[in-house]
Amino acid sequence: MPSKISIWKLRCNNPMRKNFIRVNIKYKEFDALIRITSEMAKYLYPYIRAVLASKDNYEDEPELWDDFENRFKELIESRFNTDSVRVKNLIEHKQNKDFYLRILINLSLCNSEEGYYRLKTTLLNL
Amino acid sequence: MLQNSYKFNQSSVSLEIIGLPDYSKNDDEKSISIISQWKLSILNRPDIEGSADHLKNIIKAFYEYSTSLLLDQEMYLENKLIDIKPNKDGSHTIVLKSSKSEIKPLKIVLGNAEFSDLINCIDQLKYSKNIRLNFEDLNPLITSKKSKYQKNNIFIDKLIPPLFAIFSITILSLLSINFYDPNINSEDKVSFDSNIINWH
Repeated sequence: MPSKISIWKLRCNNPMRKNFIRVNIKYKEFDALIRITSEMAKYLYPYIRAVLASKDNYEDEPELWDDFENRFKELIESRFNTDSVRVKNLIEHKQNKDFYLRILINLSLCNSEEGYYRLKTTLLNL
Repeated sequence: MLQNSYKFNQSSVSLEIIGLPDYSKNDDEKSISIISQWKLSILNRPDIEGSADHLKNIIKAFYEYSTSLLLDQEMYLENKLIDIKPNKDGSHTIVLKSSKSEIKPLKIVLGNAEFSDLINCIDQLKYSKNIRLNFEDLNPLITSKKSKYQKNNIFIDKLIPPLFAIFSITILSLLSINFYDPNINSEDKVSFDSNIINWH
């Protein structure tokens, strides 16, 4: 990744974003995105784990999970195209119940060198 | 001979490996190639111990299950030693079956946080420089569609479509030449009846 702008451009390749730009992602860029995801997951693992633990014991400690869910919804509303049906489904509680949890589980499983290969192999075989 | 011992920790999970170096493979004194004992400790759960083969089978099962989680597939994993299945509340039930018939299977329910700790502990073991186990056959086999990044056959991808197009055009041209004879003059096909045509 030559600069932060190139990362930003690749992020905009998501059709659900407000400022969506279609870019052909090269293999090296795909690999770099997986590496960044893995490194960020490693850095944020204590927080990711705490949110997962809060979801596991939701009846006793719902605060952290609720904070995460609300913040995640705010980010989707500010950056994604809310007119799209797919984005609406992400914001609606009934549809997104498992989606937010799945994102955190995926990040928690890719926070090591082996996790990087695990995520890469899985995405290449989707 | 003194045995080496290494411990891998991740929040609520700890995995201890005890064993010896294999000097026939030129191992150094600190490494472990022959596992004599291992112990998996999960917070507030009973300790799990076994032989080196048990450890390999358990690691393989956990890796397969974690890949199914990433692929968002509900997987019920069952083998001689271990059963893993997802629960409706998002937790995971693990049943460890002893090779001794008199010992009852051990059932453990893990939340997602504990499960990810466990996978991270195994990842640490896999990438440890001091533990020399063959992990290649422990990776799960994913049989699915081939990605666009994995297509390496340039001949099939780039040359076949234009060659096929040229071939089809040639065949169609040859057929049309045989069907319509270009040597026949169109005027020969026209006849004039002088009685009908009234010239003014």
